[in-house]
Amino acid sequence: MSEAPELTETEALAAEHALGVLSGREREDADARMAHDAAFATDVETWRERFAPLLEEISLQAPPSELWTRIERQLPANDYLAAGRLRFWRGATAGSLSLAAASLAALVFFAGQGPKVVQVQAPPPPPGQLLNASLMTQSGKVQPMFVAAYDPDRQALIVTSLVPPGSDPNHVHELWLIPADGKPRALGFIEPGKAKTMPMPKTIEQLVAEGASLAVSVEAPGGSPNPNAPTGPITAVGKLAKL
Amino acid sequence: MPRIAAGDRSALRQLYDATSAKLFAVCLRILSDREESEDVLQEVYVTIWRRADRFDAARASVMTWISTIARNRAIDRLRARGPLARSEPVETLEIADGSDSAETLLAAADDRHRLNHCLGELDKRTEMVIRTAFFEGLTYDALARRMDQPLGTVKSWIRRGLAKLKGCLEQ
Repeated sequence: MSEAPELTETEALAAEHALGVLSGREREDADARMAHDAAFATDVETWRERFAPLLEEISLQAPPSELWTRIERQLPANDYLAAGRLRFWRGATAGSLSLAAASLAALVFFAGQGPKVVQVQAPPPPPGQLLNASLMTQSGKVQPMFVAAYDPDRQALIVTSLVPPGSDPNHVHELWLIPADGKPRALGFIEPGKAKTMPMPKTIEQLVAEGASLAVSVEAPGGSPNPNAPTGPITAVGKLAKL
Repeated sequence: MPRIAAGDRSALRQLYDATSAKLFAVCLRILSDREESEDVLQEVYVTIWRRADRFDAARASVMTWISTIARNRAIDRLRARGPLARSEPVETLEIADGSDSAETLLAAADDRHRLNHCLGELDKRTEMVIRTAFFEGLTYDALARRMDQPLGTVKSWIRRGLAKLKGCLEQ
């Protein structure tokens, strides 16, 4: 076979990430890059697809029968976890933001593995109008990058960034509300590692509802030049859900 | 997948019944440890449960999507053991066994055939090292140790192999 042209550095990295040869630190960096570099993420996914047929060569191995029970037990446990986080936010909304800051240190510790991925399922619907959302990246694991809670009594959104402080001094994180009409509304900036209470003006407040999405975009300092939509890439999204 | 995203546990159970033996094998291959593989498998299905709304049928098959989650989780766990985990030399690296399993009958048989053809176009050593990397999730460091070769050499084998592989698959 004739000599193939070399891969670009970016594509080689994408292929290596898909293949799985990167060390722990390099993997985390690559995961983080996938979260904000869509072209890189596409490259990685393309390579994953290329390698996928190899998986068929792995013969089946049944897991122990009790494993499903363990998994099922884990599902409601996650809901309870979300409920616990809400109680934490109720405390924060009551004015104890110093307590929130202390708890934040612990959360940031958990988030230290890099921005990760999942949308928390809406837990069972107990009373109360409080809404909360965990904002996740597109690529992989379960820690949120941002958590948000909306307190209707104070008409304020409390948002916490779990991004390690100082991780990208050249950009800002801008928060957007995307209500049922699909039109993004800019809510403000969130500093990495900080918690912030954002009072919602009446016009916006009506749109803060269960099922509306919150998204964070990575913007140049000063925020998106377009006031009606993010300009930079979306780094995390999540839906508001009742608890 | 939409049913799982909507919180239907019986749908997750169906997916588990249909796929857990494959995903468990994927984890076991990387971790060589049943207990750890069980832990990872548990995390994998909980992740699928929470992320099902992210699944995009236009971009990947369900099987590729969930296998990728399983592989990534297992590799993360392996990395937590340190960069040289499982670097001990062994007699043989991964070798393609020429025989086809019943699974060749799957619809993806074409893709597999093409990939195997293109891997076969690489020199034997490069093919083996790429297969081993994929199946066992080893770092460059661990592969180099295992093959008793300098890191840079192994890295350039793989990078050249990946470039050729891409060229062949895109033909």
